Amino acid sequence: MANQAVQSGLVQAMKYLGAALCMAIGGVAPAFGEAQIVTRAIEGMARQPEIEGALFRAMIVGQSILETIAIYCLIVSIILLLVV
Amino acid sequence: MDEHLGERLVLNIPIGSFQLRFNLMTMIASWVVILILVLLALLLRRGLRQGIEEKPNRAQALVDAVMGLLENQFGAGFGSRQMARELLPFVGSLFLFVLFMNWISVVPFLGGAPTEDLNVPLSLGIMVLVVSHLVAIRTHGVGEYVRGRFKPFAFLFPLHVMGDLGRTTSHSFRLFGNLFGGGILITVFSTALVPLIVPVGLNLFFGLFAGLIQAFVFAMLAVIYINATVSN
Repeated sequence: MANQAVQSGLVQAMKYLGAALCMAIGGVAPAFGEAQIVTRAIEGMARQPEIEGALFRAMIVGQSILETIAIYCLIVSIILLLVV
Repeated sequence: MDEHLGERLVLNIPIGSFQLRFNLMTMIASWVVILILVLLALLLRRGLRQGIEEKPNRAQALVDAVMGLLENQFGAGFGSRQMARELLPFVGSLFLFVLFMNWISVVPFLGGAPTEDLNVPLSLGIMVLVVSHLVAIRTHGVGEYVRGRFKPFAFLFPLHVMGDLGRTTSHSFRLFGNLFGGGILITVFSTALVPLIVPVGLNLFFGLFAGLIQAFVFAMLAVIYINATVSN
């Protein structure tokens, strides 16, 4: 009986830990990727201000695609917290 | 206040052994958005009735600016001028609909943005998928379209299907995840941490700014997906 209580407590704790780690680690990679995109886009804008609009559009779209990774992590975390 | 968090007004309609569940607040909020958009369209259209030599009035100038913006941003993404002219109304209304649905999250007592409910982005994403294939069929004809599905090798057909499904999933989950994450952050801040002043700034950022960006990205990706499907 006590053993079971300990086990379910452990499952709870691991659930929270898993969700937190998923978000923390999963947020790092897209953050670096997006930073790279912004850096390059601003470099391009500084070099060629006349194509600023096109660069900005491509930057936003590229960032949003990269952000999908973080969104997947968020969804996995939410599933861990609320569903499992 | 905390004990009502996560509760939703749900309409259950039993059909045989399973139940259809409707999230009422989502439906009410999206109908409010539709109403706002239709009223805006009617109001602005009335302002457009003037001779072409006259100085443009305010409504005319506003519509010109918004349409110019949409045309510059989305029209440039299409493969051909003709496709841009035909699909701009679809993409533009997609953008305006998502934008107003995101923005309505700052109105209290409406239960957050309708886009925080996965059903809404998913249905919009499926709509984009269907439209992209219909446009592809219309541009190339049925035979060419079906042949295109089996290019470059016949056994790659499942890969095409998987690609379409994954594309639609990521398209709708992106909108859902962004809005849902922002909504959770605002709720947590305003109920558990700092109920004063800070949620206003959060609403400003996540509701208005991120809402605009996400609506733009959603429409932009719709343009890109339609274009990619047609050019394949």
